[in-house]
Amino acid sequence: MRRLFLITLIAGCAAAQLPAQLLQLRITGLDGLASKAKESVDITLDSNLLQMAGGFLAGAGKDDKDGGDGEKLKQLIAGLKAITVRHYEFKETGQYRIEDLEPIRAQLRTPGWNKIISSQSKDETSEIYTRIEQGKVVGFAIINAEPKEMTVVAIEGTIDLNDLSKLKALGVPAIPVPNKKGK
Amino acid sequence: MNLEDELRAALRREDPSPGFANRVVARAQSSRAPKQAMPRFIWAVAIAAMLVIGFTSTYEYRQMKAERAGHDAVLALRIAAEKLNMTRDKAMRREN
Repeated sequence: MRRLFLITLIAGCAAAQLPAQLLQLRITGLDGLASKAKESVDITLDSNLLQMAGGFLAGAGKDDKDGGDGEKLKQLIAGLKAITVRHYEFKETGQYRIEDLEPIRAQLRTPGWNKIISSQSKDETSEIYTRIEQGKVVGFAIINAEPKEMTVVAIEGTIDLNDLSKLKALGVPAIPVPNKKGK
Repeated sequence: MNLEDELRAALRREDPSPGFANRVVARAQSSRAPKQAMPRFIWAVAIAAMLVIGFTSTYEYRQMKAERAGHDAVLALRIAAEKLNMTRDKAMRREN
């Protein structure tokens, strides 16, 4: 009886985790690019780290003289479950192949994801994907490929894209950014 | 007196004075008591110090981790916002 209860509990927990795992994008196929890049950013934040980040930013915002941006950032982060960013800047062109992005694109072609903006030119590709549930954006991905730059952003959780696009107005660039090269 | 006699006199067996054994035992017992108290005090101080160091370093580590996560989150959102706006602008320019 006790064993049956444990098996049911474990199965229940696994089932509860399933939708999150299906939603989560796996950023694969870009591992070797950091060594070729002159600058690279590799950020992976799960819900625990985002919670800590929210707490830190809210605390930092209390000291702001121009109106508590930390609190606004905390609100933006509060709905997020995960953030993954891969950003590479190269000295020369041809350091990556557009096919390197195919494993990520393949995941974004699965049901649930919608390509809402796509801008293609001869040597540049920019795409924005969203995943909407019950009228809310619960997943968001950006793929941006330029001759000397490549960026992949995957955000999991409820996020208002208008709030995100206004981030520069929140004074975000004023916060010092640590050098991520070689991480 | 020659050397042999001097040595014999110096090394001859002598019985201890009465009560010698009792005095030795009493001295040994009296010197044992403070030695017992000292290690207990040191252990208490060492444990307290270890706890303080442990709690402080855990707090510091969590603060450092939160600060790092905060900077990472800001940088990630900044990159996301920049690319979102850039892609929107490109798409709008194309439509116009």
